[in-house]
Amino acid sequence: MLRFLLRRSLGAIAILLIISAVTFFLFYAIPRNPALLACGKSCTPDQLAIVERNLGIDKPVPMQYWEYMVGIFAGRDFPAGACPAPCLGYSFTDNRPVLDTILDRLPTTFSLAVGGAVVFLILGLSMGMLAAWRRGTWLDKSLSSTSLVLGSFQIYFLGPLALAVLVHQTQILSQPKYVPFTDDPVGWFSGLLLPWLVLSTIFTANYTRMARAALIEELREDHVRTAKAKGMSRSTVFFRHAWRGSLIPIVTIFGIDLGSLFGGAMITEVTFNLPGLGRLAVASVVESNLPMLMGVMLFAALMIVLCNILVDACYALIDPRVRLA
Amino acid sequence: MRAGRLAGAALALTGALLLSACSSGGGGGGEDGSGGGGGLGEAETLDAISFADAEASTGPAEEVPGATPGGTVYVLQEVSPNHLDPAQVYVSAESNIAKLMHRGLTAVRMDNDGNYSIVGDLATDSGTVSEDGRSWTFTLKDGIHFSDGTPITSADVRHSIERTFAPFITNGPTFIQQWLANTGGADYRELLPEGPYEGDHLPDSVLETPDEKTVVFHFEEPQTDLPYALAMVGYALVSEAGDTRENYDQEPLATGPYVIEDFRPDRSMTLVRNEHWDPATDPARNAYPDRFEITFGHTTDDSTQRLMADNGDDRYALSFNNGVDPGNAPEVASNPEYQERLVQGYQPYVATLAINAERVTDLRVRQAIAHALPLNGVLNAYGGAFGGEYAGGLISPLLPGYEEGYDPYGKLANPQGDPERARELLEEADAVGYRLNYVHHTGTEDARAAVTVAEALEQAGFEVNRSEVPQTSYYDTIGVVDNGYDLYRSNWGHDWLSSATVIPPQFDGRQIQDGANNYSHVNDERINSEIDRIRQITDPSEAAAEWFGLNEYIVEDVLTQVPLYYYKMNILHGSLIGGAEFNADIGSVDMHRIHVLQDAG
Repeated sequence: MLRFLLRRSLGAIAILLIISAVTFFLFYAIPRNPALLACGKSCTPDQLAIVERNLGIDKPVPMQYWEYMVGIFAGRDFPAGACPAPCLGYSFTDNRPVLDTILDRLPTTFSLAVGGAVVFLILGLSMGMLAAWRRGTWLDKSLSSTSLVLGSFQIYFLGPLALAVLVHQTQILSQPKYVPFTDDPVGWFSGLLLPWLVLSTIFTANYTRMARAALIEELREDHVRTAKAKGMSRSTVFFRHAWRGSLIPIVTIFGIDLGSLFGGAMITEVTFNLPGLGRLAVASVVESNLPMLMGVMLFAALMIVLCNILVDACYALIDPRVRLA
Repeated sequence: MRAGRLAGAALALTGALLLSACSSGGGGGGEDGSGGGGGLGEAETLDAISFADAEASTGPAEEVPGATPGGTVYVLQEVSPNHLDPAQVYVSAESNIAKLMHRGLTAVRMDNDGNYSIVGDLATDSGTVSEDGRSWTFTLKDGIHFSDGTPITSADVRHSIERTFAPFITNGPTFIQQWLANTGGADYRELLPEGPYEGDHLPDSVLETPDEKTVVFHFEEPQTDLPYALAMVGYALVSEAGDTRENYDQEPLATGPYVIEDFRPDRSMTLVRNEHWDPATDPARNAYPDRFEITFGHTTDDSTQRLMADNGDDRYALSFNNGVDPGNAPEVASNPEYQERLVQGYQPYVATLAINAERVTDLRVRQAIAHALPLNGVLNAYGGAFGGEYAGGLISPLLPGYEEGYDPYGKLANPQGDPERARELLEEADAVGYRLNYVHHTGTEDARAAVTVAEALEQAGFEVNRSEVPQTSYYDTIGVVDNGYDLYRSNWGHDWLSSATVIPPQFDGRQIQDGANNYSHVNDERINSEIDRIRQITDPSEAAAEWFGLNEYIVEDVLTQVPLYYYKMNILHGSLIGGAEFNADIGSVDMHRIHVLQDAG
């Protein structure tokens, strides 16, 4: 297990290094000068040079990248003060530490991702199991059709529609917003309920179809047939033998989905105006805010890599035949 | 102020809508776009702004009828402030919030009758000017403090001015620095390269503080607009003792009625009362609400829908910058319930089509362009009559001196354009088939307008070569002197209620350089000399009339920018917000007058 974790951690670092280099150099491939956004009213060449110096982008790009990487491992000094490791730099737009901003946004994204995941996992797996259990019946057909329809929707369509009907017109749900759980658990729940529901609508549909297919596939496996032949009850075969085996493909996809959500559910956060990492990522691209963009990209990549390592570790728990080392 | 780069950071987050941060694209409007011939009922042409004496500069501010203190006002904003240091504040999305926290030597006050005046804010009056107009003296009031309780002295005024020369101050206004250094562009920085932080100071011959209460500005040229400029948030007071240089941008001290209790960038800001603000010293701010809860990231359609629904806390809500979005504009415009909660006026911006004078040198060709342009098609592309109104000149209806109905090319009566007259002019100039390089950006509205403009010009006898550049680099593209284009749209808004911030930046031929704002590259001797002459006029009414006269000369005899339309502002507010009135100086709702309707809740 230790060797597995060590090997995967080294791989993760290599992936993050590649992502950081690609992001950094691609940013400068776009013919746009981020200093222009902070250059004030009359942006003469002299003024622009001052801003470029202030932002630290007057140096060659490889040197900037080197200093950025050094900052992550050893910290850096900025005009606004020392930035201890892991230093992700200061935002081009508001001159605040990138790491502080990411940590400030993280609870929103984390709450959205975890809450949404709980909803779509419970609903998706339950409905998928039900459809597989009642395979070929009207219930199976209804659930399969519904999931196909819901899976075809998009958050940018469902979100505003749900807002207009459930919040603005009927006031059944409260206006989506993020309230820290520690400040007000009820406010946290009610503020995120609609985003969770909309986010999970699309995911639930996918997981329903995936769980159904995986279970049906598993029910055809030899060990399930053997269990049936031994005279085990249908429910024991289904829940004890087939269900467990069907989890492997679901966990694999779930790891990727959860990692992506931790990196920022961009459309959901923008649709419901939730101040998470997704909205931050969109803004940093728009504003040519390189330090923030790098920070968000690296964090999102880290989340995906970590979730994948976690998924691999889970395989061993789900299927004893898998040995991680 | 130009509407492009300054709002650029906000531009693409939600497309063109975010221009409302500074500006122009956000107001939006209906799709019918029947034009905008008539003026807004609420907006009246301004008389010249008066400079108030000591009596009129004494606090407290005139009571708003029916207003009572208390309650919380919720503000739905799109763009979060990037800067809290007042010297770094310039765009309206930042300044509209900063006005609640910061005070300068002067302020613009709108009274209950809708009259505007420049009053002494931290100063006892709007300033005393020397006979030659080159020296201004201000005396500080008693009982004025920073939010940490330290008294404000002339040393703080000196420090506040001097630090605007420091290299890290790059976003705020530069008017006074340039006047003090008597230079253009960024050359003023040479006067005090490190600001006051290395022990250097402006000489007394430039800025004098003979005692704790007195500040004297000395200029080489007469500067009649100084009291206007000092009212900008960018020249609000910064504490010398509390200055933390770059870090002041994170935790500034306040001088106004509110201080920041909590700020989470791009998320929320809570303003609470500043206990060291004394209303008896403040003639311009009522500060009725106890708190402002400001949230960010609201697109215009989000804020409009919430305010239309008028539920819960949104009944106490409004936005300082988000106008009604185009999608909801027809419903808002036609429903009496919304009309009651709608505040309308003009934004400071005037949209024009700039003609590159260095490339299109024949006046008749430029006049042909003006005649050919279909203003109705252009305005429809940008949202129609709800979002704008046809423009005859370059001076906004908000500005003193504006003459309603000015229309030298008959555009108000004939907004669809006159291709026949345009072709006649081209034939006179022997220029039928004249090739125009026309650049626009990729924004939906701009692209739609460009198609209309190009078709009309081709119908009149031009050959149009249309190019498209990304929205975010548009002003950088047209800001290059040797840009290679003949036609491009440019918006401009005044910095204060004077045409001195409209004509000189755009038409002074001595200011042509990369990145400067003379987009049409016009260098006309008469314009240059008139700018110098009018700047010397100390009487605001006379100056306003003269600026309008120069505007007439530019539009009729030079024509390097064809006026297109005046931007309108339509702000919806919750049903329990009182005192929501349009303020021409702010170009939005006057945040100093709003209050919570306590008895209705």
